[in-house]
Amino acid sequence: MMTRISVLLLLSLLSACANNSGASRPGAPVSTSEPASVRDAAEAVAPVQEAARSFPVQVAPQRVDIPAQPETAPPPPEPVPETPRERAAPAGTPASTLLASVDQAIADGDLERAAAVSERALRISPRDAYLWYRLASIRYQQQRYGEAEGFARRALSFAGNDGDLSREINNLLGQISQR
Amino acid sequence: MWIDYKIRRDFSALQWALPARLYARPVELYAGAHLSAADLTDTLQRLGYREANQVNEPGEYNANRSRVRLWTRGFSFWDGDEPSVYVDVNFLGRRVDSLRGNEATGELALARLEPVEIAQINPDTGEDRVPLALSDVPEHLVNAVIAVEDQRFYSHFGVDPIGIARAFVTNVRAGGIVQGGSTLTQQLIKNLYLTEEQTLRRKIEEALMALALELHFSKDEILGAYMNEIFLGQDGNRAIHGFALAAEHYFGRPLDELELDELALLAGLPRGASFYHPRRNPQRATDRRNVVLAQMMNQGFITQQQMEQAQAQELSVSARPTQRGSGYPAFMDLVRNDLSRDYDADALQTEGLRIFTTLDLRVQNTMEAALGDAVAAVEVPDGPDRPAGDPLEAAMVITDASSGDIRAVAGSRRPGYTGFNRALRAVRPIGSLVKPAVVLTALESGNYNLASILSDAPVTIALDGGDSWSPRNYDNQMYGDVYLYDSLQRSLNLATVDMGMQIGVADVVETLRELGLESNPPPYPSVLLGSVNMSPLDVAQMYQTLASNGFRSPLRAVEAVTTGTGERLARYGIETQQVANPSDMFLLEWAMQGVFERGTARNMINRLDSNLPLAGKTGTTNDLRDSWFAGYGSDLVGVVWLGHDDNRETGLTGSSGALRVWTDIMGRLDIQPRQSFAPSDIVFQRVAQQPVRSGGGLDCSNAVMLPFRAGQLPDPATRCDNTDNLIDRLIDRVRNINP
Repeated sequence: MMTRISVLLLLSLLSACANNSGASRPGAPVSTSEPASVRDAAEAVAPVQEAARSFPVQVAPQRVDIPAQPETAPPPPEPVPETPRERAAPAGTPASTLLASVDQAIADGDLERAAAVSERALRISPRDAYLWYRLASIRYQQQRYGEAEGFARRALSFAGNDGDLSREINNLLGQISQR
Repeated sequence: MWIDYKIRRDFSALQWALPARLYARPVELYAGAHLSAADLTDTLQRLGYREANQVNEPGEYNANRSRVRLWTRGFSFWDGDEPSVYVDVNFLGRRVDSLRGNEATGELALARLEPVEIAQINPDTGEDRVPLALSDVPEHLVNAVIAVEDQRFYSHFGVDPIGIARAFVTNVRAGGIVQGGSTLTQQLIKNLYLTEEQTLRRKIEEALMALALELHFSKDEILGAYMNEIFLGQDGNRAIHGFALAAEHYFGRPLDELELDELALLAGLPRGASFYHPRRNPQRATDRRNVVLAQMMNQGFITQQQMEQAQAQELSVSARPTQRGSGYPAFMDLVRNDLSRDYDADALQTEGLRIFTTLDLRVQNTMEAALGDAVAAVEVPDGPDRPAGDPLEAAMVITDASSGDIRAVAGSRRPGYTGFNRALRAVRPIGSLVKPAVVLTALESGNYNLASILSDAPVTIALDGGDSWSPRNYDNQMYGDVYLYDSLQRSLNLATVDMGMQIGVADVVETLRELGLESNPPPYPSVLLGSVNMSPLDVAQMYQTLASNGFRSPLRAVEAVTTGTGERLARYGIETQQVANPSDMFLLEWAMQGVFERGTARNMINRLDSNLPLAGKTGTTNDLRDSWFAGYGSDLVGVVWLGHDDNRETGLTGSSGALRVWTDIMGRLDIQPRQSFAPSDIVFQRVAQQPVRSGGGLDCSNAVMLPFRAGQLPDPATRCDNTDNLIDRLIDRVRNINP
């Protein structure tokens, strides 16, 4: 197990380097986006350890009252299946503080506030693929699929070589396309 | 009986018409925030924070050049409550370096200030107030009002014969009016029914109404209404009612932050808000305040020591009333436009709505401070060949490059100008600003890459109806075969028309609409050179889509609307839709960055040294009637238009006019460099500096490195990289190094 993890770590580090050298054109500033975190790569092979510190990205479908189209609303969507993941943002940063508020708002059933706080976080880190993805999944839960798709595509455009996140976003896009 | 009924009906239903209040985007404090100590201090002053050596309570701050300590007041935002916290902010240049709390707050990652109120939409009566429950009124103020206006308030029945007698005696002794004979109840009646009539009949009616009011309502209800109703000053066409608003108006601070002397001053105002106006008549106001304090002591509300201390204070009224009403008219225009879709005028004027806007005061104020001089610096004086007329005018829109939030707007070169809002309503041809859309259409067609060779040669295009069109380059020169990227950077008209006619004008119009154009111009060939009419705001929408790499987000000025108590009524969230392929956007962006590096904006390269790479495009219309520049960094999009209202010539190109104004302002705002990441199907290849159409004459000595989509590599005739073999490529590269 440990060897597998170390190999993955090494690979992800290598790929991060490869990306930086090839991506920007001569003279362009060096990438400052959030590359795949080493921890994420480790989690991909160790989902069992993960469960203990799960990060509640979605909540069960009990919560939503949808003010938008109450009469014609289809049955609530399935929650987005995804690997719970520890967010790359270290504790004590603006992003982690606001993500905690997003979770709180979702837990309170106030998805619109959750969306608003995600937007607030995006004002601070506009290129954070994970924040765009959160916003996409909130809109998905609100059954605002058109908006969800826009945010998911934006998330994908910033995901870079974060393979796990890209997979999650693509899963969400797949679900949106079935709506 | 009728009076009794009327008073019960009116007072029970007492609901003031409350103006809507508009707030700027609140300042966020976090490590890395784009904010200087001076910016923060300016905001704190606008919020009425008081400078103090020791920051001991909410609403105080202490600042020097690299450090600001403050205690926020907290605010009930529509997305949650922001607590009141102590924050110690350290700065490094124009950024926040670190943030610290105190023992109570612990670690602090971010804090949000209260939002600055930028304007309000007033009721027709012109009355304004901030309603406050009696329990929230400071005790000193209640005591002061009772002491000076109606000592026996808690024991009379609405009218007070003893009070009248006492007031008479007191006034005779003092040699002037220091006390009134009307009870608070009577004054309230007078205020509610708005009459200045001084007849006996009126007085009797008033007294009867006061008795009726006392019969049906408690003393506290009456006192609470009085505190909110009483007229305390005039601010332009806005009437200041109630003590809570008066505190903001005179001191720029909330009522609960005022000291005894300040509360006593306010308590003295009902007697004559204009006569005792503390800014206009400071001596009278001070005397009146001291009388109030003396009355308070006489009646045992304060000690002699408290009185003496308070009387010794200097008047601490703020220098000017916090700016409102006339502020930011161009932005307000946008807000009204946005709100009119969901709210009628009456709701905005009477329901006390709170409107949270996207206005960024740092950006708006920086722009306003610089715009006038920046325009004056490029203005071409009227001369023999340029007849006099309307002066050169300007409009500017600055949006957030990611979300489409409108951060600043100017509708004129003069800040605060309330007339014609050019940012919204000067709908003009956009000239070469259209060219990125032409290039994007070409790239999307799959038939073009950045090294495609275009023909910059004379052309005559037959139009419907037998006319023909013969476009020319700006300098009347022709450049023969040119690369696509070069034609954009140097803004060559003939090459653009060559390409545009091949891909089809209708497709270019479609691209414009994808980018955010709402009108649907007929697909005439002249569209290729920008005979499309757009306002600066429309242009901002179009360039917003370019700046966010092909994701269109509708521009927005309003983020949320709540009731006066903070209940959310409406929210206008970000939306985004992908309208262009990331790889095509990357190629276009590369070419547009070259506009600064070697194209029509290269004259600004030194002034933007620390900001590059940036992307942008100049625009100039026929006979130099309009001078445009639209450009963006990673954080902001800015659009500048210069022109005359009477549409005469400006003598300016996009490059000599709007670009300079843009550079001045965006430079002050420290616009951030673009960060472009090549999608995975992008490869870089070298092409010969001079385009060659056939195999012969390929000169790779000064080859240019360009990005391409993997499936659309440059023509072998111009290609200097041999893609077949890595070793060959390496050798080739070594061979081409110039000593």
